[in-house]
Amino acid sequence: MNRSGAAKILALGALAGLVGVLATGFVAGWERFWVNWIFWFLFFLTIGLGCLFIVALEHVVGARWSVPLRRVPERLSSLAVLMAPAALLGLLSLRVLYPWTSSEGLNDPVVAGKTVWLNVPFFVVRVVVCVGLWILAYRIFVRGSARQDHDKDPRFNVRARRFAPIFMVIFGITITIVGFDWISSLEPAWCSDVFGVYIFAGTFLAGLAVTTLAVLYLMARGRLPEVAPDHVYNLGGFLFAFTVFWAYIGFAQYLLMWYANMPEEVFWYKERLQGFWGPLVLVLAVFHFFVPFLALIPRDAKTEPKRLIWVASLMLFAHWLDLYWMIFPVLGKGLVFSWPELSFGVFFVTSCLLWIRRAMSRGADMPVGDPFLKAGLEFRL
Amino acid sequence: MVFIMGLIGAVAAMGFELWTEGSDYALVTAGKPHFSWQAFVPIMFEVTVLFACFTSGLGMLFLLNRLPYFRHPMLRSKSMPHITRDKFALAVEADGQTLDVDAIAAILRETGAQAIEVIEQPAPPGLISPNFLFRVVLGIGISCLVAGCLTYWGVKLFPVSIPVVHMLDQPRLDPQRAGSFFKDGFGMQMPVPGTVARGQLPYTIQKQEDAAVLANPLPGSESVLRKGRQTFNTYCAVCHGLLGTGEPMLTATYGAKPANLVAEKIRDYPDGMIYHVIMAGKNAMPSYTADLSGEERWSVVHYVRVLQRALNAKDEDIPKEARK
Repeated sequence: MNRSGAAKILALGALAGLVGVLATGFVAGWERFWVNWIFWFLFFLTIGLGCLFIVALEHVVGARWSVPLRRVPERLSSLAVLMAPAALLGLLSLRVLYPWTSSEGLNDPVVAGKTVWLNVPFFVVRVVVCVGLWILAYRIFVRGSARQDHDKDPRFNVRARRFAPIFMVIFGITITIVGFDWISSLEPAWCSDVFGVYIFAGTFLAGLAVTTLAVLYLMARGRLPEVAPDHVYNLGGFLFAFTVFWAYIGFAQYLLMWYANMPEEVFWYKERLQGFWGPLVLVLAVFHFFVPFLALIPRDAKTEPKRLIWVASLMLFAHWLDLYWMIFPVLGKGLVFSWPELSFGVFFVTSCLLWIRRAMSRGADMPVGDPFLKAGLEFRL
Repeated sequence: MVFIMGLIGAVAAMGFELWTEGSDYALVTAGKPHFSWQAFVPIMFEVTVLFACFTSGLGMLFLLNRLPYFRHPMLRSKSMPHITRDKFALAVEADGQTLDVDAIAAILRETGAQAIEVIEQPAPPGLISPNFLFRVVLGIGISCLVAGCLTYWGVKLFPVSIPVVHMLDQPRLDPQRAGSFFKDGFGMQMPVPGTVARGQLPYTIQKQEDAAVLANPLPGSESVLRKGRQTFNTYCAVCHGLLGTGEPMLTATYGAKPANLVAEKIRDYPDGMIYHVIMAGKNAMPSYTADLSGEERWSVVHYVRVLQRALNAKDEDIPKEARK
């Protein structure tokens, strides 16, 4: 099949998914529609933001080894830009999904005490500001890097390195806001200080997993010449380290709530540990931590494409499952997975793949104008 | 190896916690069950990391780099006294294949070296020689001995003295002390009226006949009967005898013969009336509320029933195949 043929199939898939998406609203109800919407949009938003974070991380620490690979997360981070309109559209879900927008939700004194933060105008302002900051960071890091391909201007590196620490702060705050606003406030009585860090851990892992998959894909196509197994090893090492980080944060959050046993905290876990959700947590722990951790211990596993591909895919799936486990219990219906979820999946996956294909086909596959590219290619462990 | 040591660390921590929390010092913490794996995880994690780090660090030093390396071939150089004092040396490691020893010597001579030596590298010793193992075991043993003695004598010779107060100084109110927290100045407060301690429900029945309505909450299972026998033999058998027939031994002291528990009168008592006697006492018998828990009292009632039946067994009670 030629390349435009694949694009046509993807476009057809997106159209078919769109039909299912619209049908969800009219047939299965708008609550189901918006839960799916924020779930899928957050899944791809976190991938995009994770990739943007990887790019910024390289600039902030002045890493050389990752320069040849940088174009991959740069292109993938355009998902965050694609999800900007999805976030704005998602604002329509406020009245449907979020209890703090209704007067009966505010009957709970705990929720009523949070209206300083949880009110519709401020929520909208936060979303718009966050999206604006991400697009600004995208323009500085990614567009600037693409421009450097032509003008070879080393001043880009200086600019990026100056902005990167500022972006780290912005990223830390905005990713926390994403977690608090979109996910945590679905059940506004609940709060967890570490929730932002937990979301960050998942975001970074998702970005890493997709970057690893894309790097291996491009390497198999011969589009990243001179990239050695040593570069791939570092990606594998990152995956290995941060799967432990995710488990650490996730367990820390659970342990403290379990220990304190406060009714306003444990109800969130109670909902998510009972019935169908209990075994799902085990699956999550196994796929998000135990399997990747054990699989990535041997040195070869961090370079061998076949093993890395399935570990990275597994972690991406686990991140998806993580979000599903956090968001879908608010419907209060137990296991909800049927044609609406599938059509949303088809719609979002195909449109994101189309978007990524477009990004991948433009410009060079490596930052050819970066003065550190040669040093990066010479990197050996 | 690091992984295996990490696993051992996790299992060791788990075992230690199970032992302390389960058998050695079973303390109820925050109302959680004794086996609360959630609370074990942080310590398991830390010990796993500790074991794995020590294994990789020490393994690198002692197994891979084979330290301490007292017989390094460089030390056999004739110039060594000078090198440690007032001369410089340049050591070139050559394995004889990739580097030509003679060529290097020639280059060095050209650049004006004062002395050139070729030192043969002896065959490396095996990874784990008996000598090495001996030193490791000796080292661990001496460390343990020194650390143990230091700790023991340290605590003995320097008891509680500032700043080493061994956690004696704590911001808490000791029992029977004055405190500024409550208005009346007492550190300890009386329980709120109506407070009932766990397992200590108040017993309000006055007359033995009224207790007839109480039903035995325990099943007549084997474990309950065993407990009943043990409690009976400890507390009741002194007067009532091991068979419950009433020992005449103490009659002189109390002026009355202890009741025969297997007599028809008591056989006809409902469970509650036997229970009431344990609670309230009867005639010369004192109350046993302070000695026996509710569960123990009810198991004793069960066991008394067993004695009554055993000492008044009828033919039908014996299985057919056992009858003659």
